[in-house]
Amino acid sequence: MNKWFEQTEGRQPNIVSSRVRLTRNLDQYRFPNSLNATESEGLVKRLEYSLKDLKELDGKDYEYVYLEELDELSRRALKERRIIKGSILEKKDTVGLIVSRDESVSIVLNGDDHIRMQFLSPFLQLDELWRRADQLDDHINARFSYAFDEKYGYLTAFPTNVGTGMRASVTLHLPTLSRGKKFQNLVGDMSRFGVTLRGVYGEGDENHGALYEVANQRTLGLSEREIIDLVTQSAEQLSEQERQVREAALKNHRLEREDEAYKSYGVMKYARRIASRDAMIFLSQIMSGVDDGLLAFKEPCPVYRLMLGIQTANLQKLSHRPLSKEELDVARAAYLRRELPELA
Amino acid sequence: MLCEKCKIREANIKYTEVINGVRNEHNLCAQCAKEMDLGYYSAIFDGEFPLGKLLSSLLGVGETSQKEDKLQQIMCPACKTSYQDFVENSRFGCPDCYSIFDLLIGDKIKKLQGNGVHNGKKPRYQKILAAPSVTGSGQEEIQEPKLSREEKLQVLKARLQEAVLKEEYELAAQYRDQIRDLEQMEEQDA
Repeated sequence: MNKWFEQTEGRQPNIVSSRVRLTRNLDQYRFPNSLNATESEGLVKRLEYSLKDLKELDGKDYEYVYLEELDELSRRALKERRIIKGSILEKKDTVGLIVSRDESVSIVLNGDDHIRMQFLSPFLQLDELWRRADQLDDHINARFSYAFDEKYGYLTAFPTNVGTGMRASVTLHLPTLSRGKKFQNLVGDMSRFGVTLRGVYGEGDENHGALYEVANQRTLGLSEREIIDLVTQSAEQLSEQERQVREAALKNHRLEREDEAYKSYGVMKYARRIASRDAMIFLSQIMSGVDDGLLAFKEPCPVYRLMLGIQTANLQKLSHRPLSKEELDVARAAYLRRELPELA
Repeated sequence: MLCEKCKIREANIKYTEVINGVRNEHNLCAQCAKEMDLGYYSAIFDGEFPLGKLLSSLLGVGETSQKEDKLQQIMCPACKTSYQDFVENSRFGCPDCYSIFDLLIGDKIKKLQGNGVHNGKKPRYQKILAAPSVTGSGQEEIQEPKLSREEKLQVLKARLQEAVLKEEYELAAQYRDQIRDLEQMEEQDA
């Protein structure tokens, strides 16, 4: 079964993935933070029991697990693939997880809120994701009545999510735009339009791999439709700006760009050990190279899949044990030699 | 300016310490600052970004007038979350908190969320079916979209199952009666 991030059909340059998340709470329970262990377990069991028939809704196969039953590596790998938030891993009480085989749909039960539904897809597909979220939302609501208020909308544990309870985001690859001097201003300007732009990997100002996520800032006062349109437009704008600067760079420095792409490919294909930071930078070069038609793979392979693949927990999971830093770098290089397709 | 410690990254943190009147300035990058012991401020660099703390300050810790002091002690009867707890954690304990603290948080939510009124989706199947006698809590005004009879039946049956699981037999009995009424209407129509 392919994961959602392994799809290659309908590829759009610079746009990596889309995500819609809905937060919901039942009206008959206090928020997860103020439930005791017994109440938490009871809530998760009830929710899981009532959602056993999800397959009938969308034909997908689902797995039902309790987070506490998973080993540490699997839990951390789920975090890397953005199925769960890091803070949820710390929780002592029962947390339920329902996740489709392709990982495009996941529902966290009794995390920060009673229900957190997340829909992931490759490329820009917020419309479709919202349609599916809306459908699942109704499906759950048919069984449970929600904590809802005419003024504040859907009530959530954190006031940052209240209202629609919806966060829509798009992950973009902006290697050239983000290198420009005006990029920091652009990041600041985005908030005036009600969206935030943040780096996905790396700490502080560093963002290895040049992946950025644009998301709606507010959840209250806007309708879901307006949020989807706002984020979609922002993503398209950013992608278009990236395209323009890339086109200019390609026109003036084609040889350098080609050289960068091929050198990166060479390093990735033959290195014997490589740090995460370097691998992300080289993969980013390859991603631009593929998008710009400078190099092509023999068989289709989303570079984003490799970016997820080289993350620490995933490599450890593949080796079935925790690895030292040195071992990780070796495992990462081996993974890339194996997974990176031949050039066409 | 480059970080004085690693000399690789741009310094974006200026740390000034004054010990016994001697003033020392350090220019550091976020990573090196994290590794250094900056006492109280180290928390800023620890692990995930402490959004909660930042929000709390945005939500107004510190602006404690006397009036606010009294307000701090207001407590939600359902989950025992006090206003002080909310300000500290930026987090509510239960759905009731929103109405309990409504007057206190209105402006602050506006700061976070702008225009403070919900303008999106409403629950499609809300209390529609629960008889008003049981839950007369004022939330009944929610406008329900028109549902077909089959849809209503389906929802009622799901809710009935839920009520039984939760051992709320009074509620279950009401659902059962509503299902029976709907089914009888169907037979009459047929």
